[in-house]
Amino acid sequence: MKRTNQLNRRKFLAGAAAGAAAMSFPYLVPSGVLAARGRTGANERITTAHIGVGGMGGHHLRDMVKRRSRGEVNIAAVCDIDEKRLAGAVKTAGPGVQPYHDYRYILERKDIDAVVIATPDHWHGVQMVHAAECGKHVYVEKPACCTIEEGKAMVAAAKENKVSVQVGSQGRSQPEAYLAHRYLVNGNIGHISRVDCFHYPSPEDNKPVPDSEPPAELDWDMWLGPLRWRPYNKKYCHGVFRWVLESGGGQIRDRGAHVMSCAMWWMGADGTGPATIKATGTPPKKGLWDSAVLMDVTYTFKNPDWVLTWRQMPREKLPPAEKRTGKEPGGRISRPGYGAIYRGDKGEFIHWGGDGGTWAEKKAREWQLPAGGKDVYKSPGHKEDWFKGIKTGAKTIMNIEAAVGVANLCILGNLSYMLDRKLKWNQDKREIVGDEQARRMMSRPQRHPYHL
Amino acid sequence: MSNNKLKKVSLTAVAPVVTAGTANAARSNTVDKLIARIRDKSDKVRADAWLSAGEVGAPAVKPLATVMIDKDLEVARAAKHGLWKVVRHVGRPGAGGEKRAVTAELIALLSDNQPTPVRREVLWMLSEIGQSRSVEAITALLSNKELREDARMVLQRIPGRRSLAALKAGLKAAPKDFKLNIAQSLRQRGVRVRGLPCVKLVPTKKTNVKLVK
Repeated sequence: MKRTNQLNRRKFLAGAAAGAAAMSFPYLVPSGVLAARGRTGANERITTAHIGVGGMGGHHLRDMVKRRSRGEVNIAAVCDIDEKRLAGAVKTAGPGVQPYHDYRYILERKDIDAVVIATPDHWHGVQMVHAAECGKHVYVEKPACCTIEEGKAMVAAAKENKVSVQVGSQGRSQPEAYLAHRYLVNGNIGHISRVDCFHYPSPEDNKPVPDSEPPAELDWDMWLGPLRWRPYNKKYCHGVFRWVLESGGGQIRDRGAHVMSCAMWWMGADGTGPATIKATGTPPKKGLWDSAVLMDVTYTFKNPDWVLTWRQMPREKLPPAEKRTGKEPGGRISRPGYGAIYRGDKGEFIHWGGDGGTWAEKKAREWQLPAGGKDVYKSPGHKEDWFKGIKTGAKTIMNIEAAVGVANLCILGNLSYMLDRKLKWNQDKREIVGDEQARRMMSRPQRHPYHL
Repeated sequence: MSNNKLKKVSLTAVAPVVTAGTANAARSNTVDKLIARIRDKSDKVRADAWLSAGEVGAPAVKPLATVMIDKDLEVARAAKHGLWKVVRHVGRPGAGGEKRAVTAELIALLSDNQPTPVRREVLWMLSEIGQSRSVEAITALLSNKELREDARMVLQRIPGRRSLAALKAGLKAAPKDFKLNIAQSLRQRGVRVRGLPCVKLVPTKKTNVKLVK
């Protein structure tokens, strides 16, 4: 949508009132004014704002507070639709950080260079697109999107507005991810034709509760945002939205966005997609959550031909974790319940985790790059890589195109599961082929006015 | 004509009636069994039941919708899951006849005598499999305050000229407080809408949390 079609609050309030409001805030000098247009100067502090400050959003805020103390960033604002969480964030962020209920106030502020979005998944697409349209650089939590259409809009918005986007599949930036990547691309297990991702099951809601009034501190309308309206139920939020297909999409979209992110990166498959997707699964027997408990998805790639699988399996069937001393680059394996096995014609390789903890098998950690060997990009850290993107325009390690590609895998897996049939995918057009119902499900009409 | 021949002729004439009657009885029996299992006290039995509902098809639609408002939350949920299974099953490629039959049943469930939660869910089912013939019943709900936003979104999702025409007509007829919503759908469908600006970036909600000075 063209920006000229849009009405911002300044126009909406005929200028004067908004101007007065702006005067009342202790606005920071935008770092962009000291640098090239649209880019922060190499030595300038980036001014950030945080949209969604619970869960991972709280983690990001605390991380940015540390960075602020090191002189890397300014923090201008925090935003949440849960007033209790917002009050907590204001305390964490400290004096002078403006609290907001509605993220769109943040997008109006010209002194803010970048936003960190850590809202429930069903908000990621809309908020990232809005932020890009307002010229903000974006760090958005994974998964990038919940529908195919959202993903397309996100890629287009980042490109048209020339903003740097980093998606929070931070596994790519972990030290052992670099070692694994380097090990695999140097042919140590030969030609890889299959990657099998494993994960423990999605939980079941064993204590369902009836719908009720939302708590006073929560703006239920805005929590739902683009989703169709339904009564509040405490099994939607916070955090547990992950187990609702419409919102979080279950383990495949939550952790799949990590584990399959590593697979696509290491296989050199960013920008490619499967030709077919076939999923089966076991639904929860009761309760509000409807994501598959157990799941088995097969993605078939063509030219080059390889197979990616995603499997949620009982914990006792998971591969055992490697024993460690804790002195390894990634330390001890604290989350052994997910990862992937790479199967080549000369051997196999396994890694655990894939997110903030990514642990590579010993043989990859100990492998030394020979003279003439192929090195790979080593991320300076996921946020540092984003800052580099903001300051130089360099492509981020989990850029929006790559992240949408991974999110599409998760979405397509869930669609095949929901429809109980194999899907065909046209990667060039980014669309499902030959199935009208599935094609309609590539997008989801959004509630007014929370739309792309 | 011999007695035997007469017998044969009369049996042949009656056979389709008997076959149809037998088939109806069998269908009815299948639906009754499905509903009984959907109402079962066991989580597992209910889950197995709704998972198998897809193939029962159109005859299961109305009975499942009735159970969707059962007082037992989990029974109601199982019925809803079952109905979705039907919708997803008949939406498969090559199942046009089954889809039309289910769609007709769903349209009937949009009537005023159905509870709002059922109608809302049915609207979204039609968003996946509804065709032109569904548009009229959905359009009627644009004037229902509780359901108009869902109806608007569902019309947006159903492809074709009839749904687009319904949205355009809906915009003209809509009260002031709903025009922007329909304008949003029309833009999404590629229509240029004048005089009703997009307000997606306009902030509206203030916080009571104070700035720490």
